[in-house]
Amino acid sequence: MTDASWTRSGQTASFTDQYLLSAFGAVLVVLLFFAPELVNPGLLFIIGMTLIQSVFALSWNLLFGYTGLASFGHAGFYAIGAYFTGASLRYGFPLPFVVTLLVAGILGALVAYGIGIVALKRLTGIFLAVLTVALTEALGKIIGFTPALGEQDGLGNIPRPIINLGVTCLDLTHSNAYYRFLLIACLLIIGGLWWVIHSRLGRTFRAIREDADRARFIGIDVARYRVISFMISGGTAALAGALSAPWTRIVTLDQVNWLASTQPMLNSLLGGFTSFWGPVVGSVVFTSINYWTRNYPGLSEMLVGGVLVVIILVAPTGVLGILGKLRARLLKGGRA
Amino acid sequence: MINQFVFVLFNGLASGMAFFLVAAGLTWVFGILKILNLAHGAFFMLGAYIAYTIGGASPSSLWTFIGVALLAAIAIGIMGLVTDKFVLGRLRNVDYHYVLIATFGLMLFCEGVAKAIWGSDYYSVMPPPEVDTAVKIGSSYISLYTILVIVIGLAAFAVLELIMNRMWAGKIMRAVANDPWMAGTIGINVPMVLMLSVVASFALAGFAGGILVPNQTLSVHVGSSFILYAFLAVVIGGLGSIRGTFVACILLGLVESANATFLPEYGGIAVYVLLAVFLIARPQGLFPPQGAL
Repeated sequence: MTDASWTRSGQTASFTDQYLLSAFGAVLVVLLFFAPELVNPGLLFIIGMTLIQSVFALSWNLLFGYTGLASFGHAGFYAIGAYFTGASLRYGFPLPFVVTLLVAGILGALVAYGIGIVALKRLTGIFLAVLTVALTEALGKIIGFTPALGEQDGLGNIPRPIINLGVTCLDLTHSNAYYRFLLIACLLIIGGLWWVIHSRLGRTFRAIREDADRARFIGIDVARYRVISFMISGGTAALAGALSAPWTRIVTLDQVNWLASTQPMLNSLLGGFTSFWGPVVGSVVFTSINYWTRNYPGLSEMLVGGVLVVIILVAPTGVLGILGKLRARLLKGGRA
Repeated sequence: MINQFVFVLFNGLASGMAFFLVAAGLTWVFGILKILNLAHGAFFMLGAYIAYTIGGASPSSLWTFIGVALLAAIAIGIMGLVTDKFVLGRLRNVDYHYVLIATFGLMLFCEGVAKAIWGSDYYSVMPPPEVDTAVKIGSSYISLYTILVIVIGLAAFAVLELIMNRMWAGKIMRAVANDPWMAGTIGINVPMVLMLSVVASFALAGFAGGILVPNQTLSVHVGSSFILYAFLAVVIGGLGSIRGTFVACILLGLVESANATFLPEYGGIAVYVLLAVFLIARPQGLFPPQGAL
């Protein structure tokens, strides 16, 4: 009898938990939606960047946390999206903005496909790490030689788009309007990634991460699914970049080096790569550290680097992992 | 035309040897511990800053210059000891992803420390007076410092080759690299050998920092330009092979220097073509170490 009530109370707890989390999420989304009325423009810009960084980090984590492959040059994809969108808005390509975003995503996925078919069959592990770093650096060099892309100075003065809906126009030139568009786009992309990870495809990815050989034995075409994961990840990263170009209104070479590639990595590990929301939590934590330490040179690198090392050593599952463990311990303590 | 070739040859050799000084420690630790230490460039940078702090902006003679580089090597070697004790030593048997990310965190930490101590100003250091001139070879002028870097690089290679292939210490290291468990059962103190390898690798990074400061302006980013070439050299050379890394460094140096001379508007792109060719045609590298990996 005690056993039964135990289970039931446990179930109720997790049910309430889920309910609470959904409520929390809904409140957060509403707050985010009204953020332009609640905070100053400087902070709004940072919130927008955090949203973009969350999507970027989630795209990296699809590769690392769910498929077991580490790209050390993910900034390359982000830059492809950002430069493509930036150039298309700046030079007025006759493309509707939403189509531009989609093309940017497809471009990222195609580049990922190209790298994937060359690299993922033979080169996993350290080779993949070095190859992705080198390719991103090479892309940075190529952009640096292209006058149309602003060479070393970056592509500035990017106008914000106006979306023509036929009946009416959606004017995104004001930052508040573009922020809301950004928020909705990010939520849609995050929803899409959630769906991918919780679908059959996502389970296949996880099977490959757990044990590639066994996955092969049960008939999974490992190389093919690795390429698919790489494509989704690269495409999403390019989308994050594409959304960032009109928000920052300038795209620079700082976004195309291997240090920029480590941003999604830091965010994912900081938050916890084993959970879906980890990269989002990590992006928020990272931005906060940067925001509070912005007046002390070197402190933010020291803090972030130190936290990263400590996380790998003591809690490889990140902030969410620690919270989960704490919660389990507290609940256990409560019951005993 | 011949002058240009002499110029390309010397510049290429000099940058190749500079890459090798940085890559040697990297490839050493990779060969023995199977760790790609992303923080290697950051410790190289710290070595350069320490050499600058001890020796000042213009070293008084060649011997003080080399002495200062050796002091930097000792300082960074001690840091290696601490790093091994607190970080690398605890990550001996985990997935390599975690090691990559932990060393990346270390790199950020070191950059933060350097920014906090030395600020974000740029410093420049003069070569020692004995080598601060140029000699005429054929009809082109080659800086003596360039020749010094080439000589030191060759000497470092010779010493490492001697240790690895002719000496007792190198045989123990190769035994540990090939089969740590078996090495342990025949009485080799494996953790000690691994720790000493890490310390040696860090000391090499510090020494390289001291020797190469006059090559360019000193800033927090000084490591990143070298370390990228060092990674490429380690991959092209065959992971963990010192001889392969040496040849790859010379190759990279020559390609880079030829690119800068003959195609200056597309500087720095040819090495990536070289890397792509190697990855497609010979992904195991020039001299894949036997038995390892």
